[in-house]
Amino acid sequence: MLGALLYLRLTSLKNIVLSRLRRLKQPKYFLGAAVGVAYFYFAFFRRFSSGSTSLAGLPASLPTGLAPTFDFTATLSVFGALVLLGIVLFTWALPKEKPGLPFTEAEVAFLFPAPISRRRLIHFRLLGAQIRILFSAVIFTLLSRGWSFLGGGALTHVLGWWLILTTLNLHLTGAALTINRHIDNGANPAVRRWLILAGVALLLLVSTLSIANAAPPFPEGNIGPTDFFSWLARCLDSGLLHGLLIPGKLVIAPFLAANSAEFFRTVGPAALILIGHYFWVARQETSFEEASIAYAEKRAARLARLRDGTYRLGQDKARREPFRLNVPGRAEGAFLWKNLLGTLPYFHARVWLGCALLTCVAVPWIVRGEHQKIGSNIIITFTAIFSAYTLLLGPQLARQDLRSDLPHADILKTYPLAGWQIILGEILTPVAILTGLLWLNLLALVLALAPTADKIAWLTPSFRLTASLCIAAVIPVLCALQLLIPNAAALLFPAWFQATRQRSGGIDVIGQRLIFVFGQFLVILLSLFPAVLGAALVIFASQWVIGASAAVVLGTVVALTLLGAEVACGLWWLGERFEKFDLATELRP
Amino acid sequence: MIEVSGLTKRYGSFTAVRDLSFTVQPGEVLGLVGPNGAGKTSTLRSLAGIIPANAGRIRIGGVDLAADPVGAKRQLAFFPDEPRLFDYLTVRQHLNFVARIYGVADHAKLAQPLLEELEIADKADQLPGELSRGMKQKLAIACGLLHGPRVMFFDEPLTGLDPLGIRRMKDSILSRARGGAAIVLSSHLLHLLEEVCSHVLILKKGEKIAHGTLAEISAQFAQGETGVSLEEIFIRATGGSEQ
Repeated sequence: MLGALLYLRLTSLKNIVLSRLRRLKQPKYFLGAAVGVAYFYFAFFRRFSSGSTSLAGLPASLPTGLAPTFDFTATLSVFGALVLLGIVLFTWALPKEKPGLPFTEAEVAFLFPAPISRRRLIHFRLLGAQIRILFSAVIFTLLSRGWSFLGGGALTHVLGWWLILTTLNLHLTGAALTINRHIDNGANPAVRRWLILAGVALLLLVSTLSIANAAPPFPEGNIGPTDFFSWLARCLDSGLLHGLLIPGKLVIAPFLAANSAEFFRTVGPAALILIGHYFWVARQETSFEEASIAYAEKRAARLARLRDGTYRLGQDKARREPFRLNVPGRAEGAFLWKNLLGTLPYFHARVWLGCALLTCVAVPWIVRGEHQKIGSNIIITFTAIFSAYTLLLGPQLARQDLRSDLPHADILKTYPLAGWQIILGEILTPVAILTGLLWLNLLALVLALAPTADKIAWLTPSFRLTASLCIAAVIPVLCALQLLIPNAAALLFPAWFQATRQRSGGIDVIGQRLIFVFGQFLVILLSLFPAVLGAALVIFASQWVIGASAAVVLGTVVALTLLGAEVACGLWWLGERFEKFDLATELRP
Repeated sequence: MIEVSGLTKRYGSFTAVRDLSFTVQPGEVLGLVGPNGAGKTSTLRSLAGIIPANAGRIRIGGVDLAADPVGAKRQLAFFPDEPRLFDYLTVRQHLNFVARIYGVADHAKLAQPLLEELEIADKADQLPGELSRGMKQKLAIACGLLHGPRVMFFDEPLTGLDPLGIRRMKDSILSRARGGAAIVLSSHLLHLLEEVCSHVLILKKGEKIAHGTLAEISAQFAQGETGVSLEEIFIRATGGSEQ
């Protein structure tokens, strides 16, 4: 019987690969595949050919100079074990009803009525997960090869990841079956959930108290982020939590092994945990069919919406309106209101205000006193990275605009609105979201820099305030400009856009997305050039006459004018394009 | 109310609609019929301003659709065969959104009787995902009717409706026509034409085969016979094939 199930898995895999290869005949996929392969080669594989270890290389011991810092792996071990513990606790605490095993609708239709025992179905499920786990292990290995502090070789990393992911998968399966059995035996799902949550709360309380009692002293002197996280890891790895983290640390240990000897020493306990999990799952004789059918139906509906590009996280219930939509009023506001309703509930004015207040209280507290430098370094690093990601990748992720409304294009086109109004209305929501995030970042950055800036004579508080407000004023226009580009791409290259908005995998689709990101980066650089140049010239020329603060304001006005003109031109042009957009022909992939 | 002259719609080298001309007066219901691929949906989408026509002139309530699309669209409503709803707006929020788009100031007063007429008032706070196919259709109709359009386009209006829903849809179309609206609908269901339409336009391969009242069309294709069914007339008019 397992032979037939294995045949199903392998044949499906073969057909997926063949269909992906066949579609390379289309230029959009071929070009995407070329870029995707080039990306993987230069980002990951080239390291193997030029690095000290080969893909199959398993060094007996590392050269002294390349020996990993012990503290790094110890810190990672604690945080990794903490993540695993968190996943395990959530797995037991989250289900409000009977959790199903992840079968597809086709598998339910063919396998559930077939003469196959429950135990074999569970094995089929575990076998199916192995293909995904092996693939994930290889990908994670490629990604984690960049962690210079890691020892071991590619093979130990693949095996290490496989052990972690397989153990986790077995635990999730075992937990689902156990919860099913408890509910079948009459346990009240709500009572069970509250008991677990109460247990987790108690655990947190006891752990916090034990950490508070046994925490190591904060390192003295000029410390960096690594020292801070190392201290944090030692704090967490004490008291009650130390005992709870042991299984997770054992499972992670082979992946973090510095050399082959350490790998063989650590793989035994990890394998024992895995085998224990397997027997726990394999011995269960629990009814899971009903919950699995419900799961399969929900999954199919979610996948259909993902393919349509209409999937919104947690959109099963009506949401509270972000603001009152008064009639009459500008139609663009209706789009903002509508698209905000389609986002996560956290993008609400009250939440933004709360975050801003929290930032105003927390950041000055963190950067106060003798450890001011470490606190401000961490905040500055985090805000710089987050701002860069928000600016570069934000427009690709915040898609509550024309890109998600393209399936409704025929209805949008019947509205008595000019094309530019529809485009403007559509981009308002992602502009608001990205602006909010960047404003929060700016606030944190300004507050974190304050102690350092106080020591620099020309960075007076009034100048800092002026400069911050000027940057804040530019941010929404910059976001609007950024968002016009992917929306333009959706209208200009709808067939390409259709391919990338569907959440299908494949190296060709990754390549297509990379082309979009690079295209966006290039266009935004070109668009920013006149504004940056104009503002810089104005500030340079006028600061001697009107002072630094006034020059920055004048420069900002120039930048805003140029960027605003670009946005206006972009809206008008895209609006024209939308009015002429012939969806009958354009939306054919 | 609806004036169409020389409408042509091409997709690349393929001509979907060729040199189509007709008018629909207030109170008239025009049925667009024809075999698959005859150009019915392309015609309706061009009339509603969803896709641009390649040639010809369309006037909605005296307003040229190409010259003043916003003015023309204020007067029309388009009902697609599949209700296109926003998954994350409730029934009431859909109406609120549409009211703002069309500038319907007293929408709350208009929306409630509309919801009651369409029997979805008790679903006002539900999302489309919680509604049946028929309920979704009703919501799409409520959204289209909220701004009191004088011109309406229905693309296969009975798709997916149960017998009661079909009856109500027919009644709704007739009552709007009696209220002075000019209506164009496309359908494969010939009994709908007999019961609802005052005029029929038969299309084949994008060209007008016949246009007139039901009586005129019957007379044209009955060839002197009496009691010829509309189905038989349709088959004779279209030559009994899609080609």
